[in-house]
Amino acid sequence: MSFLEIDHVSFTYPRHDKPVLTDVDLHFDQGVITALVGPNGSGKTTLTRLMIGVLRPSCGEIRLERRPLVEYSLGEIGRRVGYVFQNPDLQLFCGSVAEEVGFGLANRGCKQETVMERVAFYLDYFELKDYADVFPLHLSQGEKQRLAIAAVLANDPLFLVLDEPTVGLDAYRKRLLEDYLKKISRSGRGMVLVSHDTAFVDRVAERVVILEKGRVIEDSGRKGKAADEA
Amino acid sequence: MVQGLTYRYQPGGPLVLKGIDFHVSRGEIVAVTGLSGCGKSTLCYCICGAFHHNRDGVMTGQVLLNGKNIRERRAASLALEVGMVFQDPDTQLFLPTVEDEIAFVPENLCLPSARIRERVEQVLDLLGLAALREANPHRLSGGEKHLVALAAVLALDPPVLILDEVMSQLDQLGKEKVAAALKRLRNMGKAIIAVEHNLEAVSLADRLLVMERGELLSCGRTAELLADRELMEARGLLYDPSGSAQDS
Repeated sequence: MSFLEIDHVSFTYPRHDKPVLTDVDLHFDQGVITALVGPNGSGKTTLTRLMIGVLRPSCGEIRLERRPLVEYSLGEIGRRVGYVFQNPDLQLFCGSVAEEVGFGLANRGCKQETVMERVAFYLDYFELKDYADVFPLHLSQGEKQRLAIAAVLANDPLFLVLDEPTVGLDAYRKRLLEDYLKKISRSGRGMVLVSHDTAFVDRVAERVVILEKGRVIEDSGRKGKAADEA
Repeated sequence: MVQGLTYRYQPGGPLVLKGIDFHVSRGEIVAVTGLSGCGKSTLCYCICGAFHHNRDGVMTGQVLLNGKNIRERRAASLALEVGMVFQDPDTQLFLPTVEDEIAFVPENLCLPSARIRERVEQVLDLLGLAALREANPHRLSGGEKHLVALAAVLALDPPVLILDEVMSQLDQLGKEKVAAALKRLRNMGKAIIAVEHNLEAVSLADRLLVMERGELLSCGRTAELLADRELMEARGLLYDPSGSAQDS
């Protein structure tokens, strides 16, 4: 049984006639990195917002760990599925970079030592140590992007949805992100990656789903070494 | 022309730009690349005049536009000559339709309505946005927003264009449209500065500037610098689709 199931989902924004998504039927497993690609405006971001419950399907159903997503609170979904927004400004709100990375952990009641240890690890890995006390919105776009990713990963979610995670990242930081995503995928967690960065998708994704005009036009299925081992 | 430009966000704070010197001519595209946080966007803000009135920031050196120091220019008059597309298009889109967004500046310049319509149609056509003319810019995808922000700046028809990572969220077709538009604008004599991480996207530039920690590390013909894989690799700017992460 898949971790996240999108069952014949269609979606139309309120007061709009044209559907953004039509009959999308996709299942996502743990341990697999899936790239969601397609032209601008094809409905990729809308689909990811449906996956985390901030939008609800006009028809069809989404299930998370076999339970309908509508039965979860947003908090319960957030503890299971980490979401990195296309625009990091939308998810940064704390007074400092360190606070931002530790916010989710502290609010889940983790011990202060654990929070500090995890914050130190992620600040170090994503090379944000020098900015620990800086106000997040004063960072450059690439630094904000790294911070948004670090803050989501620090919560150790079961599944990840990343919307254009490489925007603003230089090649060196893309490689760091690539290594980390592959590592957590190997540990059994699944993820959906929306990206126009074909080089990154080629290197990271085991499965590629192509959306066009709100419909799935191609699904490669799981491929490569990981699929052979599975 | 940029001469000895330095910038600090606060007095006594760290230098974000450390003496940058370069020039851009009419009919030339200059790309700027470098690791994130190296000062590329700060450089753009300094050139477009957004920072020289910032009371907290400390800027030294000078930015000359047609030989005149931009510090002596009012922000409103400078905006007519230097158009900038920001890295985050949400910061510059605020009207209810794409068409309104593009028409905003020409309307505020009190151009005749026929001329405004003509400019709007020209840029809608140039960037392939005609089908989205009635759409709400805030409801568009990230890539489409970037195209609308670029269209709104092009409607101003400024002689100098600064583009901060406009290609980053575009699909292949969008990238091709923007590349074609930039080549056309170059032929029209515009001076274009484009910040990019994607080395494929910088290849259309005539010259490439590589920045590192606020300094200008290299400046030269784009093809020559891109061919110097050792330099690009050493500076962390090469993302090779064929290699493995562990190798690099």
